[in-house]
Amino acid sequence: MNVNKRQSKLVSLKDAAALVDDGNRIAIGGFGVYQHPMAFVYELIRQKKKDLTVVGIVNGNDVDILAGAGCLRRVETSYVGFEKFGLAPNFRRSVEAGELEIVDYPEILSMDRFRASQENFSFWPAYFLGGNDLLRINPDIKPFDCPLTGKKAWAVPPADPDVVVIHATLGDEYGNVLVPTRRLTPQSLDITMARSCDKVIVTVEKIVSTQKIRRHPHLVEIPSYRTTAVVEVPWGAHPTSVLGVYGGDDDHVRHYLEAAKSPDTFRQYLDEYVYGVERHTDYLNKIGLEALLSLRKMDIAL
Amino acid sequence: MREANLYEIITVALAHDLKDGELGFTGLTTGDGAARFATSIPLAAAQLARLTHAPNLTIMLAGWVHNPNLRQLTRLPNSEFDEELRDLECEAQSRGFPNHPWAIKRGDIDFGFASGAQVDKYGNINSVCIGDYRNPKVRLIGPVLQPEHMTLFGREYVMMAQHDARRFVEKVDFISGVGYPGGQAGRRELGIEWGGPELVFTPKCIFDFDKEAGRMRVKSIHPGIGIDDLRASTGFDLGPLDDVPLTRLPEPEELELLRNEVDPYGLLLPTT
Repeated sequence: MNVNKRQSKLVSLKDAAALVDDGNRIAIGGFGVYQHPMAFVYELIRQKKKDLTVVGIVNGNDVDILAGAGCLRRVETSYVGFEKFGLAPNFRRSVEAGELEIVDYPEILSMDRFRASQENFSFWPAYFLGGNDLLRINPDIKPFDCPLTGKKAWAVPPADPDVVVIHATLGDEYGNVLVPTRRLTPQSLDITMARSCDKVIVTVEKIVSTQKIRRHPHLVEIPSYRTTAVVEVPWGAHPTSVLGVYGGDDDHVRHYLEAAKSPDTFRQYLDEYVYGVERHTDYLNKIGLEALLSLRKMDIAL
Repeated sequence: MREANLYEIITVALAHDLKDGELGFTGLTTGDGAARFATSIPLAAAQLARLTHAPNLTIMLAGWVHNPNLRQLTRLPNSEFDEELRDLECEAQSRGFPNHPWAIKRGDIDFGFASGAQVDKYGNINSVCIGDYRNPKVRLIGPVLQPEHMTLFGREYVMMAQHDARRFVEKVDFISGVGYPGGQAGRRELGIEWGGPELVFTPKCIFDFDKEAGRMRVKSIHPGIGIDDLRASTGFDLGPLDDVPLTRLPEPEELELLRNEVDPYGLLLPTT
């Protein structure tokens, strides 16, 4: 009788990022300035990925730094910006220079595109796009009349990412990933994204035992068979927030935005915080213990 | 009693337009002036309406916090999705897409609030770019939820914190939210079944629409604003303005409610 051991999916950040190929369509979890897998994004930059397409919903820090590091060819999303901090400087510069292709989608439709991929639909129907210039600039959206009612409609292409990367709080080595019940839009969209693709990478704040996970099975929104690789990265979303774990690092974001005012100073930022960093803990040392502790949240319960 | 300031005047005018039983959607806009117009004024107006003629109105903060207890707040939140809003006392919460409690495409949301870098005389709005799309002078944030606001919501209030000829233009550089091209008939031809801009609030005036013609027009001018100033601040022809009334001032009872019940700590509206 052949008895095999269950396979661990726990890998290093380096090995996980190596799963992304140049030219891939990548969906990055999180929303605006919340809960992006930033440590993973930094590793993509260190590995000098090229010609990536980010397919997203509401993007911020993730797309801006990838744009500034020259990793992107195209972005399909409804928003790129820093919310209360303002516009995304690297993204803006790249688009204005004609170096980065942007394809704008409405916000709800950007979410629906991932649902289309989950359902394996060849398109998602939209009925509210008439007159919008989004149609003028996007040849991938095709008009049709509903075959049942004759209603004017548009076929919107699914998101169809090659790889999805999200950042969550807890998981086990087999890739069971837990999402708190008090979740909000960023966490809910991460779950939607994780069901839209067959290559799903999850970075987690902490790896816990499967025994512990099994006592909270109702919180496992991404079971192990949906996960390709899991990586333990504490503070892995910094400087964005993780709900119930830590808040966004506003001071660091302001420092980033100051550096991003010119390509030269931004290059120095990348040298210091990305290229010049071997391990994620080295990055955290640069941010400093006091700064990190000041951001810490401690939820009463999940 | 102190005279009503601009924000109070706009808040009360907006409150009058909200109806009992409706569901309203406010986003969390940031930046001082913009937040005041697109978030604070709508929240204050909805709460005033709830305390007067519309007790069954539901208003959402940040698109997901239903009927929040704003008196619990010591400052206006500046993050859409953090613990502060999650733990704010309210009537219902949404945990996010696709499990929102409302059915947006069925028309559940009666009214919402948008703003843009540009708005034109047809009521189109733009938050995508200034200049040519492929070669923009300024690349902005993107369409976000504007396409949905302007077609799926029952009606839209466009909240413009600044009124000048750069923002109020003949034709927007990019239509990311559709107004009335070709009027109501034009919208129907485009397959749009309902919705569209209803009123535009600015520091100088309130616009409404001749929906058949598909044109924005001045509904009322705020006290202290001259007609020449209004024309110079608007990049399209406003037509005759001699018969346009002044924006109605709040009743003393409304001001009292607004100051003492809706916003006792001056969180939403300036107190001077």
